[in-house]
Amino acid sequence: MRYMKTLNKSYKRALRRVACLALMLALTLPAVAQWTVDKLPMVHLQDARRYVCNPDGVLSQEAVQAIDARLMALEKQTGVQTVVVVVKSLDPDDPFEFGIDLSKKYGIGLKGKDTGLIVILATEDRSYQILTGEGLEGTLPDALVNRIQDQVMVPKLKDGEWDAAMVSTIEALDGVIRQDAELIEQYELEEEEMTWGEILLIIVILAGIIAFLWYICWRSSKCPKCGQHSYGYVGEKRVVLDGKRKIVKTYRCKKCGYEHNETEDDPDSGGGGGGAVATSLLLWGVGRALGGGGRSGGGGGSFGGGSFGGGGSGGRF
Amino acid sequence: MNQRKKWLVPAIIGGVVLLLCIWCFSSYNGLVGKEETVAEQWGNVQAQYQRRADLIPNLINTVKGYAQHEKATFEELTAARAKATSINLDADNLTPEQLQKFQAAQGELSAALGKLLAIREAYPDLKASQNFADLQAQLEGTENRIRKSRSDYNEAVKKYNTSVRSFPANIVASMFGFERKAPFEAEQGSEKAPTVSFE
Repeated sequence: MRYMKTLNKSYKRALRRVACLALMLALTLPAVAQWTVDKLPMVHLQDARRYVCNPDGVLSQEAVQAIDARLMALEKQTGVQTVVVVVKSLDPDDPFEFGIDLSKKYGIGLKGKDTGLIVILATEDRSYQILTGEGLEGTLPDALVNRIQDQVMVPKLKDGEWDAAMVSTIEALDGVIRQDAELIEQYELEEEEMTWGEILLIIVILAGIIAFLWYICWRSSKCPKCGQHSYGYVGEKRVVLDGKRKIVKTYRCKKCGYEHNETEDDPDSGGGGGGAVATSLLLWGVGRALGGGGRSGGGGGSFGGGSFGGGGSGGRF
Repeated sequence: MNQRKKWLVPAIIGGVVLLLCIWCFSSYNGLVGKEETVAEQWGNVQAQYQRRADLIPNLINTVKGYAQHEKATFEELTAARAKATSINLDADNLTPEQLQKFQAAQGELSAALGKLLAIREAYPDLKASQNFADLQAQLEGTENRIRKSRSDYNEAVKKYNTSVRSFPANIVASMFGFERKAPFEAEQGSEKAPTVSFE
């Protein structure tokens, strides 16, 4: 009996030890996912209206929507492309390096203008970083970015108000960028040039299509007999041949009078026929090509290929 | 030997020589392009170090307003700046020894800068000054730009060196005197840039 008791005791002790170990393991296991540049989902590529990468749900839905709306308006009016990254933890634990790698991977900002902007917050690392593209360094000098961080961002971060910190920081950056008249003017000039280029391109493509169609007509108008381009369709007759309904199309050359009949099956229910289908398909295609830009609302976005030189400011709170 | 084979042999030799020439030209041009990229990145590295040097007089003036007694620190920093800005390396002359000299001088400047930034702890007014905070932010941004430009330069050097050394382009490289260029070595000891931290 006594022996049984000790056995029971040691058994209990062992059990307790195992439970302790399990608890310790659960505590030491990384509860926080560390985001690398490659792992981080870039929401802007899936949806052009979204700019905030919030994979851990640190920010509330309302805050994300408020920031997205502001950044979309900012991009439309100034050409500044922004990416906001709010996570719990980064790998490597260096928001500057993370931001530079992110900019290299996606090319945030317009190519040539390099007006990209990256705002990073890692709440468990307690680190933050704002990176300005090379074309934004004049608008947002490092010292100014640092002031915004010191006066607007960090006090709220210290209180753990992630939503308020990010929304007000984006508001402050947005305000500074909008005050730079030169930046906006240059962007608008560029935009106008781009639309002219696009119009020219569309004209060239349409002219090409028209020339191609005209060439096809011209080639088919060559008379097989005399070689003159005066051969064409004159009319058709519906006949019944061997109990089947047929269409006989007549082609005639105006110069030499050569005539040729082609017999086709009569398509049922005499609708538009193949030609009409082809035409409407072509029209639909042209319409889509011309109106393609209008439907970008739900589509994925893209980045312009801008580069970063290391400007901006960051720190820990 | 009949008539046909007589011209066949020179034609083949001619064709091979032509192909060799084309290959020579293309790998030569490739090397030139990569060397140009290295030179461009090197120019960027120097520009960023210059940017840092340009910040120093302003920084010294600001600190002087709060801490007149730190004369030795100011003098040391001024001397280190003068030394660092006197070394200008040409992109054609990027040997390991030359780069080491450049890096050592910049490292001394980094150390002197670190000392100047450290004295802020003794002067609360200086630490609280907005002007000083701005300068610190500019300095930190410049250190970041230096970091970025150095890693871009190293990347360009790596690409160039790989082409110079790999067969068969190395034959062309040695024919025209393309030499390996030195990358920045990992920072160690005094060469480490001062870390500007914000508490």
